Amino acid sequence: MRKYSLIGLFIISSCTFVHAQQHDPDLLYIKSRMDSIQSFSVDLTLEVDISFIHMPSKKAKMKYTKNKPIKFSSADFVMLPKRGLDFTLNSLLSYSYITVPRGEEIRNGKKYKALNIVPTDPNSDFSIALLLIDISNMRVTESEISTRKDGTYKLLMNYDKPTAILPAKVEVAFEVQRIRIPFNFMGKDTDIDRKKMRESGSKTGKIFLTMSNYIIEHIR
Amino acid sequence: MHPGAKYGKTLQYLSIVKALIQIEFFKLFKQSRTYLALASLFCIELIILGSAYFQGKNILDILLENLQKNFYFEGNLLNGNLLVYLILNTQWFHLPLILMIVVSGTLTTEYKDRTIQTTMLQPVKKGQFILAKYVVAICFTLTSVLFLALTSFSLSYTFFGRGDLIVYLDTLNFFPASEAFPRLLYAFLSGTLSMIFFSVASLTIGVICKDAAKTWIVSAFFLILSHLLLKIDFGNTIMNTLFFAKLSDTWQYFFQQDIAWDIVKLNSFLTICYILLFIGVGMLLFIKKDIE
Repeated sequence: MRKYSLIGLFIISSCTFVHAQQHDPDLLYIKSRMDSIQSFSVDLTLEVDISFIHMPSKKAKMKYTKNKPIKFSSADFVMLPKRGLDFTLNSLLSYSYITVPRGEEIRNGKKYKALNIVPTDPNSDFSIALLLIDISNMRVTESEISTRKDGTYKLLMNYDKPTAILPAKVEVAFEVQRIRIPFNFMGKDTDIDRKKMRESGSKTGKIFLTMSNYIIEHIR
Repeated sequence: MHPGAKYGKTLQYLSIVKALIQIEFFKLFKQSRTYLALASLFCIELIILGSAYFQGKNILDILLENLQKNFYFEGNLLNGNLLVYLILNTQWFHLPLILMIVVSGTLTTEYKDRTIQTTMLQPVKKGQFILAKYVVAICFTLTSVLFLALTSFSLSYTFFGRGDLIVYLDTLNFFPASEAFPRLLYAFLSGTLSMIFFSVASLTIGVICKDAAKTWIVSAFFLILSHLLLKIDFGNTIMNTLFFAKLSDTWQYFFQQDIAWDIVKLNSFLTICYILLFIGVGMLLFIKKDIE
């Protein structure tokens, strides 16, 4: 009888603990701030730092509307990162998840709250994410997202004023594979063996985004 | 000799060369093979444009495959600038081949039809005669490259519009449309020197071989050999820098992020030296040889 009581107590206490860790209140607060945004548009300046790509800095316009895909427009060709533009944390928190506190981390002499987000829904496209939260301004300043298919991304976000909810600068670091291709369309090399052309190993690439002219519409 | 008399003789020499050049131009543009050559160039261009249209997207997909995982692409890369670049890539082999046939033909047909003997019965020096041939060969090459440039830019921009140029030279280089156009123009200018070299070389080969078929075979062999040697590393800096075969892809330097102007200038200077060398050798051989 005593044995069963102990097991029952363990189960109850475990459930209580897990429940307590399901959603971090600070994260929920940040999410509520983000959820208050109905739409925003912003001018982006993008610089690519990938060893095998030479691209001049590019400009584009980004338009976000709640529950709709992000839209981009640009006068010329532009490569936009698939990760790092989800400022509203929608893709991270759209499926069920639990949060696990990881204590504090120090960046540039300032303390940040570290938090793991672990999705509990198998449909989520990431396996784990680490967020650094600026408690004093209630916003995310750094995140490391391990995706199921596309490797790990690291985002560093800088804000231009303490009250800003959306970042002014974002640095996205990611893994990218290098390729070697003879650029000869019409010759005998036209039938390219993709496997042979691909070099083994991957490189780390970085994208630097600078945002300006935010026009934010909040939910009334 | 009195300096005035020497000057007068030079003027007389040049006036005969000028007259011969006019005759050569008349003969060149009178023969159907000249127009056939230009027409075939145009056809090749159309085929390249058509193929690039159908294959271009596939190649771009392969080029950008690894990046598609990380990036959204906004804008069109299969545009006129890319197609002009592709035309350049392929035409730098086809164009000299056609030029060599036409240019060497201006001399070999003279041997075949024995018109060279008729000309030599006139008060024309052998040096003047062959110099006029070289001048016309260079002018015809310039005309052909100009024709190629005009048609490729106009066709590509008309049907595919303008846009950023993507080039893969060890690294993926992106050039905005405004930057791509002057780079393509420079590439045409640089390639022209290479084309002149092959035209001049074919005429020199014509001087040596005399027979049309032999000249074409040797010229084609020379062109193919040059292309093969271009890709071979001689393991020697002097050979890799100065050898004529290594100079024919100088135009590609205009598609590196930072144009290596020093190399471009050196290669252009060396190509001009090789052109003058081949003209000199050709003239010397022609003057020394008897007209049979």
